Order: sequence, then structure tokens, then C-alpha cells
Amino acid sequence: MVLFGLAACHKSNDTGGSTGQTFDSLETDVIKDFTNDVVFFRYSSLLNSSLTMQTGVNKLSNATTDDNLTAAKALWKNLRADWEQSEGFLMGPVESNDYDPNTDTWPTDYVQMDSVLASSNPLTTDDVKNLPQSLRGYHPLEYMLWGKGGSKTAANFTTRQKQYMVSLIDDILSNNVQLLYNDWFLGSDNYSQLVLTAGRGSTEFSTRQSLFLNIISAMSDICGEVGASKMYEPFIAKDSTITESPYSSNTLIDFKSNILGMQQVYMGLNGGKGIRNLVAAKQLDLDQKIQAQINAAINTFSQITDRYEVAIFTQRTQVQNTMVQLAALNTLLDTDLKEFITTNVKD
Amino acid sequence: MKKLFIITITGLLVISLSRCHKAELAPDTAYDDRLSGGTATVFDETSHAFTLSIEGMSARDERVHELGDQTFEAKFVAPPATVFGGLGSIFNNVSCINCHRNDGGGFPSAGSATSGLLIRISQEGTDLHGGPLAVDGFGTQIQDQSVLGYTAEAKVNIAYNEIPFTYPDGSTASLRNPTYTLINPYIPFAVPYMLSPRLAPPLIGIGLLDNVPESTILGFTDPGDKNGDGISGKANMVFDPTTGQTKVGRFGLKANTNSLLTQVANAYQQDMGVTSFVNPGESSFGQQQYPAATETGKPELADSLLNFVTFYVRTLAVPARRNVKDPDVQAGSVIFNQINCSGCHRPTIMTGPDFNLPQLSGQRIHPYTDLLVHDMGAGLADNRPDYLATGSEWKTQALWGLGLLQKTTGTAFYLHDGRARTIEEAILWHDGEAAKSRQAFTVLSVQERNQLMKFLNSL
Repeated sequence: MVLFGLAACHKSNDTGGSTGQTFDSLETDVIKDFTNDVVFFRYSSLLNSSLTMQTGVNKLSNATTDDNLTAAKALWKNLRADWEQSEGFLMGPVESNDYDPNTDTWPTDYVQMDSVLASSNPLTTDDVKNLPQSLRGYHPLEYMLWGKGGSKTAANFTTRQKQYMVSLIDDILSNNVQLLYNDWFLGSDNYSQLVLTAGRGSTEFSTRQSLFLNIISAMSDICGEVGASKMYEPFIAKDSTITESPYSSNTLIDFKSNILGMQQVYMGLNGGKGIRNLVAAKQLDLDQKIQAQINAAINTFSQITDRYEVAIFTQRTQVQNTMVQLAALNTLLDTDLKEFITTNVKD
Repeated sequence: MKKLFIITITGLLVISLSRCHKAELAPDTAYDDRLSGGTATVFDETSHAFTLSIEGMSARDERVHELGDQTFEAKFVAPPATVFGGLGSIFNNVSCINCHRNDGGGFPSAGSATSGLLIRISQEGTDLHGGPLAVDGFGTQIQDQSVLGYTAEAKVNIAYNEIPFTYPDGSTASLRNPTYTLINPYIPFAVPYMLSPRLAPPLIGIGLLDNVPESTILGFTDPGDKNGDGISGKANMVFDPTTGQTKVGRFGLKANTNSLLTQVANAYQQDMGVTSFVNPGESSFGQQQYPAATETGKPELADSLLNFVTFYVRTLAVPARRNVKDPDVQAGSVIFNQINCSGCHRPTIMTGPDFNLPQLSGQRIHPYTDLLVHDMGAGLADNRPDYLATGSEWKTQALWGLGLLQKTTGTAFYLHDGRARTIEEAILWHDGEAAKSRQAFTVLSVQERNQLMKFLNSL
């Protein structure tokens, strides 16, 4: 009986409801874990997958075989998974220093891509860096690897395409991903310091409330962007050419990665605390409601079994269902969660 | 006689009673100071504070706003691409958002994807409607980028030197002074030309400013400076190609555009090389960069998309003020009025009626502008007239959202060409009609200056 009682006590502690920790110190933990477990983890992983991608692209360039092409395509998908998950917290340097538009601009510009390949541009990394954003980043690289319609084979590669591909990944890595990582974590005045000192002298976030509101607005923005824009537009126009990753047909995974990244911010990652711990400490029912809605949204993705480029024609009900769940999640974050923060985080 | 007396008394009584009942505006203290945009205010102080729509729109309006948002962010690509094609052949940037970062201000550089500065050009004289006279081969704006296979009109070189400034109390500041030169023009210039740098401004509350009655703006003018405060203020009267009328200009850094539709369409055509029904001709028409091979004669931007973007900009909300009860902020507000910054940066204006969007209708707003052009002195002058605005006149820039500019833009830059890196530097550049206020600012104590800064950052 005594054992049973103790076990029950311990269980209730796990919900975060009555750990005896002050709310203030809980805030400190959440900010710390957001920075280290979520952002640091994801950007480090992005840096690694960019490095691996570069090795793979160089290998493909040196030995252009179908095996190496298949390997490079797999690496590209890994790289995208990291990038798209990092969009769950699209704030700070990625925004203010343009790493997002530099690497993830859409639509890709076929006409100019063909012109630049046919031109006398040296197509070095520096040259690519100075090209318009629609000719830089993940999607031109995707185009190089898959080609229009996704049917490209190793035999189709021209010397110019190889040069472009090698410089594209170098531009992604050296001029963007590496700098993004540095901006957050290197040097004494890096962005992670501005986050960690929010409300305690940070020049970016004068209050902790403003930091949390920024994090939440990034969370709700990504739900809105996926549901009301990236999914909705091809769906309503019945146009598969305007999906996000049309050459690789990776679009649906891109979407899901976005929401998974957002979920990590809410739940915390690898044992760290997330926004949910703040909510659970004061309003357990709201926390459960948000968790359930996130799960509901993520689960609907698996009901779409065709690739997105096809599903907008064949599985319209399922696609619509996902959009409805994302809209509900967006509203929940934008109203209830926001209100929770403004009510409870006062410093 | 007695009867007449009673009638007279009764009459007087009625008059005096009705005088008592005359509607008066509630005192300023009766309003919530945070509501910079009246009902069109939103409470958000994140980096996305400038990107939010006014609340309470119908589902249909929300949808139009959303579509406008997507088009605003869409990066245009070279024709004949079907999705957002039509870029160039010469242009300044590839999307609205590339210059208006997060719907905020731009970066003062030219010729790259992150540049938010462009250069207008004209020669001595005026066009048919009194506007700037185009320079042959260059038009009225330098397009400093081009799609592959074409040549940009010229590149813009921006050089800065620092001018030290010392306050009477010994504290110092440094003013960054720019010089703009055109390099590598694609053809030689046939005539002397005048240049005017323009930095992309934040877009919040544009719908409210669009809805300020023309009579209100004209009421702010004081041509002969009759009240003797050193500030005259003039409405710029400009030609609008969509209506064919000459009206009060209210958009653009010299108030050289009357309607929002024209402002948006001009930006598409001049800044991006994207034609529309308002401007069906390419900016490169008549030049060697004219893309004859891809011209179809049809507008490159669908009418619907142009209207969506216009609606999007019109329905951007104004973020609420912060820290309005902070005693320093309140003291700063008093100083702002005392040294007559408010002479041009008008704190309060009423908007006119709007039957489609009640959020913009009859609102008591705090834009801190009078929408007039003022002489700002030789230091800021571009020496290039634009309709009635002379070479030293600029439109009073709205100050709402000022304290959030750093967050929304990433790095904030101030004044018409982004030369000022801090608000203080921007104030110190003020001259001409603002000379008195600038002078008064420099003799404030350090504490008072800080209070004024705190107030400005609360906007």
C-alpha cells in the first residue's frame, strides 16, 4: 500500500505538475534546453549532413555512376530532413542573415538555370554565391540530381552540370549552413547568448515573455505555411508543378519534417524540457490538448499514401484532412498558447 | 414686448444649452496609448510584428490577404516560366520581401539579393504631368541587376565617410555621410543627371494612411509658416496614371504617388521588371535590354495578383506600443512635444470612412507623420525635385513601429537612404524646417535624451 502510494506520487511528478521547481527556474531550463537540445542539436546535424552531402556530390562528380547518383539523392533527402525540421524554429540569424532565402528559394528558375549552364560563367562557389537566390540552394541541387520529371541518370550529366552541382553544395555549406551555425554558437556575442539571457540583459529579447512569444509565433507560422500555403496552393490549383520539391517528389516528407521540427520545440528533444513543461506546470489540460492536436496533425500525414504531387489529384479528402488539422493546430498555438504565455510569463 | 423677451430668453437658453451639449473629443487620457493603429492594432513584438493582418476580417478577405502575402513573398523568375515568370530583363530585386524585409525596412546596399536601396534618376525639367524628366536610355530609375544574357543599366557605388558630432555637453556621435556614384553604365550618359537614393520603408498601417482624408492632409500645410514655428510643410500634388488625376501624394519617400495600387504596380514594373495592367510596358522599353523575344504583350502579373498584393499591403496591421506606463517613456513623450518633433511627426490623426474595412474606418491613429514634405536641409538633400517636392524636401516618415524595426529587419537603418545606423544619428541629421527641433535635442541633458529614445523605442 505504501509502495503503491509512493509510486503514484512519483508518477504525478512526471507530469510536470508539482515538481516543486519554481516557474522561474523552469523557464530557465526550457530556454536552456531549447537552445542546446533543439537548436544546437538540429543545426549541428544540419552542418553534418551538409558535409556528408558535399562528400557525396564530389564523389558523384569524380565518378559519375548510377550508384553514386542514388547515394547522393539519399544524402540530399537527409539534408532536407534536417533543414525542414530546423524550420520549426525559424527565428534569428536564419531570418535576419537571409540563409533561408539563400538556400530554400522557390520556384527554381529553369530558364535561368539553363542559361547559366550555357553561359561562360565560371560556376565557381563565388560565382554561385552571386547568382540570384532562385539559382542557389537545395532546389537547384535537387534539379541537378533528379532532373525534370525525376528521370535523370548518371549518363545525363554534363561537365557544366557537375561543376554547378559541386559549387551549389559548397555554397550551401560554406556560405550558409556553416555561417548559420557560427552565428548561433561561435563567438562571445552569438545569438544563443541573446536567447539564453532573454529578460536578463539580452539586447534582442528584453523580456522572457518576448522570447517565448517569438518561439511560439515561429511554431504557428510553420503550421500556417505548411497547411494554408505549401499544401493548399497546389491542392486548390490542382497543379503539381508548384509543390515544394517537385523533382525528387520529396514534398510530403518536407511538410512532415516541418511539423516534426515544431513538435520538438514544444515537447523538448532527447530528454530536455520544452514549451510543454511550462504549460503543464500551470494548465495541464491545455498541454494535453496541444499535444493531442500536434499528434493528430502529424498522424494525418500517414493517411496520404501517394506522393504529394499525385495525392492532390487522387487523395483529396486525405490532403484536406491534414490541412484542417494543421489549421486547428495553428489556431490553438496562436490563441491559447500565446495567451498562456502572456498570462503566465511575466518577466 | 414681454412675449418677445421670453422668446429671446428661451432662444438664448436653447443656444447656450446646445453649446453645452456640443460634442467634444474625449481627453487624450481617455484612450489606450498602446493602440497606435486604433482597431487595426495588433499585439505582437516579435520579428514578425510587421507581417500581421488587421483582425476581424471576413474569411474571404483573410483569403485575399493570404494570397497577397504569398505573391508579396514570391520570387519572380525570368520569362517564359509560367509560375511567377516575367522578371526583368533588368531589375533591382526579385520579390517584394527581398527589399521589405519581414515587411519592415531594407538594407542600404544596391545590386544584390539582400539590397533594399534603389536609385532614381532624372534630368533637368519635368515631364508632361510635372513629374521628373526621364534620362534617355535609363528612364527614371537605375535597374542595377539583370537576368542572364542582359546588361544592368549601371552599378551603384555607395561610399561613406564619418562626420564627427559633439554635443554642447561634450558627448559625441558620428554621422555616416554617403556618396552615390554610378559605375559601368551600359551606354554613356548624354545629359547631366540627378540621382535620388530611396530605401525600402516598412509597410505597416499603409491602409490607415491611405484612408486619411485629403482635406486633413491639406489642413496640416502651413505654406508661409504663419504660426512662426519654422515649419511650413507642403502637400505634394502628383499625377496618378490609373485615374488620370492630379492628387495629394502620400506614398513614396517624397510623397510622389497618390494611390496604393499605383505604388504597388510601379514597384513591380520598375523594381522587378514585371508588367501589369497599370504599367503594361517593360521598364526597359526602347533600350537594348528590351526582351523582345519573350514579350507577349500581355501583363506579366495577373490583375488578380496585383489586386491581392495591394489588398495585402492595405490590410497590414500596426503593432501596439510597449512600455507606455514606464515613467521614462512618458517623460520622453513630453519632451517629444516640447521640442516640437510633433510639429511634423504628428502624433494623432483621424482616418476617414471606409465601408469595406471598418477596422480602417474612423480610427484614431498615431502614425507620427503629417504626410507632408518638408525641407530637411542640405545634408539630407538629394537635389532632385519630384513633382512639387524640391531637392531638399522629404516626406515626414511615420514613426509607428520604430522600436521594432531592429527586430523585424534584422539590422535597422534609418532615414530615406538608410545612412543612419541609430535613431540618434537620424535625429542629428535633421535640418531645414527641423533645425530648431534638432538644436533643442542637442541641448537636452543626457537623461532627457535617453528618455526621448525610450519613448521612440516604445513606438
